[in-house]
Amino acid sequence: MRHYENLVIVKPTFTAEEIQASIKAVEEIITSNGGEIAATNAMGMRKLAYPINKNERGYYHVIYYSVAPAAIVEIERRFRINEDLLRFVTIKYDTNREIKAWNTFVEKANKAVEVPKAEAPVTEEAPVTEEAPKTEEAVAE
Amino acid sequence: MSEKRKYKKRYCKYCEAKVDFMDYKEVASLRFSLSERYKIMPRRLTGNCKRHQDMITVVIKRARAAALVPYTVTRKQVVTAPFENLR
Repeated sequence: MRHYENLVIVKPTFTAEEIQASIKAVEEIITSNGGEIAATNAMGMRKLAYPINKNERGYYHVIYYSVAPAAIVEIERRFRINEDLLRFVTIKYDTNREIKAWNTFVEKANKAVEVPKAEAPVTEEAPVTEEAPKTEEAVAE
Repeated sequence: MSEKRKYKKRYCKYCEAKVDFMDYKEVASLRFSLSERYKIMPRRLTGNCKRHQDMITVVIKRARAAALVPYTVTRKQVVTAPFENLR
């Protein structure tokens, strides 16, 4: 088992429910290949640094997990087939230093989920970023 | 070295801060090693040590793949400068 991190960018044209559904599908791909998800971190809707497939924004989601190294090929193949994803970035945490960093990331992500009230500014920012694309969709429709 | 130094001695800021691992998702911390046009700054200008320069190049390239940092900024793109992501 090796530690990995996957950053996934979901299409911005989806509604909030569709985004959640596609993220669940992504997590299922990992778990069905024998992966154990340690933590997830939703970075939310962000502006992309450059347009991908003519999309200016994207929903960022980060998943920390550990799988056998052989399964990564299959996981990436499934991601490539998935049309909901604009982009994915897989990162391997191999050396002792990197594994240490991975553990701190997982702890941090889990803490943020457990105690959302303590981090008031984070929770305040989240709805703002979510509302922005909705209004744009309304205009587009 | 008999000759006197004509400029300030450069030092590695990452060594001073004892950075062991860089995260590609923290875009604000990558700003130091990027130029205005989002090119990776050379070591001779930033004063980074070899070890940390190697780390930052890998991290910046990852951030570019994840669309957190642009690959290039041309004149056309400068108008919609993606600085808002960084601050």
